[in-house]
Amino acid sequence: MGKVKIKRKSTLIDMTAMSDVTVLLLTFFMLTSTFLQKEPTIVYTPSSVSEEKVPMNNLVTVLVSSADKSGKLEDPSSVEGKLFISFTGDADSTFSSEKIRSMMLAEALNIYNEQHKNNPVNLTAGQMAEFAKINMFGVPFRELPEFLSMSVTERDKFQGDMTNAKVGIPIDGNRNREGRLNDFQVWLKAIYNVAQRINNEQTEGLTAEERANVQNLYAALMRQGQGIAVKADKDTPFTTVQMVFDNLQTMKLNKFSLMTALKSEDEPTN
Amino acid sequence: MAQIEQSDKGGKKKKGAQKKMQIHVDFTPMVDMNMLLITFFMLCTTMIKSQTLHIVLPTNEDVKKEQQAQAKQSEAITLILDTEYEGDKPKIDAETGKTIHNIYYYEGIADTTFSTPKYLVREQFIGNVNHQPQGIRKILRDKNKEVMAEYDDLKTKWKNKEITKEEFDQLAKKNSADSTKTRPVVVIKPGPNTTYEGLINALDEMQINQISRYSIELPTRTDSLLLRHYEQAHGETIIRPTVR
Repeated sequence: MGKVKIKRKSTLIDMTAMSDVTVLLLTFFMLTSTFLQKEPTIVYTPSSVSEEKVPMNNLVTVLVSSADKSGKLEDPSSVEGKLFISFTGDADSTFSSEKIRSMMLAEALNIYNEQHKNNPVNLTAGQMAEFAKINMFGVPFRELPEFLSMSVTERDKFQGDMTNAKVGIPIDGNRNREGRLNDFQVWLKAIYNVAQRINNEQTEGLTAEERANVQNLYAALMRQGQGIAVKADKDTPFTTVQMVFDNLQTMKLNKFSLMTALKSEDEPTN
Repeated sequence: MAQIEQSDKGGKKKKGAQKKMQIHVDFTPMVDMNMLLITFFMLCTTMIKSQTLHIVLPTNEDVKKEQQAQAKQSEAITLILDTEYEGDKPKIDAETGKTIHNIYYYEGIADTTFSTPKYLVREQFIGNVNHQPQGIRKILRDKNKEVMAEYDDLKTKWKNKEITKEEFDQLAKKNSADSTKTRPVVVIKPGPNTTYEGLINALDEMQINQISRYSIELPTRTDSLLLRHYEQAHGETIIRPTVR
């Protein structure tokens, strides 16, 4: 009997080509990516036929938390309607996100302390600097000092807990612009004031480019209504969203955008 | 990893001849690492940017009656929005997997004498079926036919590349605000059950049907009366007892 010879094949595979492909893919993803901004809660926006893109720069996002969907809570709607605000500046201009945030914080604190003269909120310079780094926040003014002293992980954990009564910017009460404003209205007033002020005062002695930056920011926030975007879940009751609208209307910021996902006209609605 | 292989074919090499080296580098760990990086970037990126819908609301300041624009009765149409609920969650249609939104609409001013038996009419957001508008879209389109006729003309022109996208946008905007045409005035009233999606759907219909005059208002007592009447006439419950 002749022995059957089994040819031994080498199991080495040339990985060079594979490596080439992966590097290409990697390059593609690195160049096209914009990082997801950290948000304390997930909302699914409704879809609309509007094709206008959300601007990347000079944007104030108001996030409205949605009802709990994990089914862990007895009353899922109890965590609904908490407000978070995020300020995004323009990295290419004099108004970077950090600068906008500190301007807004300084202005908002001024307004708040003027209304609560007996019990003002005071922040250290370190806490102010910390605020400029936070993308999205949602705490009442009273909690700000404590919140800003936390570490990043602690803060995320604190804000991510929607059942906590200290999370979310207070929004209730007051339909009068002259009365004592609620916290959300203080922030809105700060936005209004900052936009007005940089438009009025700072245009003198600036280069043409800097002036254009000022005008961009002002236009985004005030005139064209692209600067404020409300982001809410599709199942959020209208009554909750109405509260946000109502506050915006009270503070004369009645031009704004609603964030939606895209769908085509022919797709069935609902 | 990197192996240098000496190829010796038999021992019959001449002395002094250069040895041929073959270099094999094992790229497997490199590929592994790249794959990990790709996974990271894929998970962290948003390829689809969100869209926005612009909205202009009136200020809360008191507006005097005389300053308010009065709409012609024949042009007015009021949509009362409603979302069906099951327990404390919006009811999902088993077939489409989507939330069910209803629209109760009436034309002109509210008839509180209820002399017309089926005064409120129920419609739904159906969208297009075979490219033909259905449901509330059809009703709004019929109300705005003069504007829509020209809009369709413009659209065909744009599709045939007779006008550019910018020109089309500009002309469409002018067309939707053309006061020589009969245009409806739509009042959107989100009822107590309505979800945010219902409102966006309604705003969407305004955009699709090129309706430039619309407003969002809270339902009045009259509207609740009308709904109650509809409930009685049809033997249904629309307004949930436990509305938040």
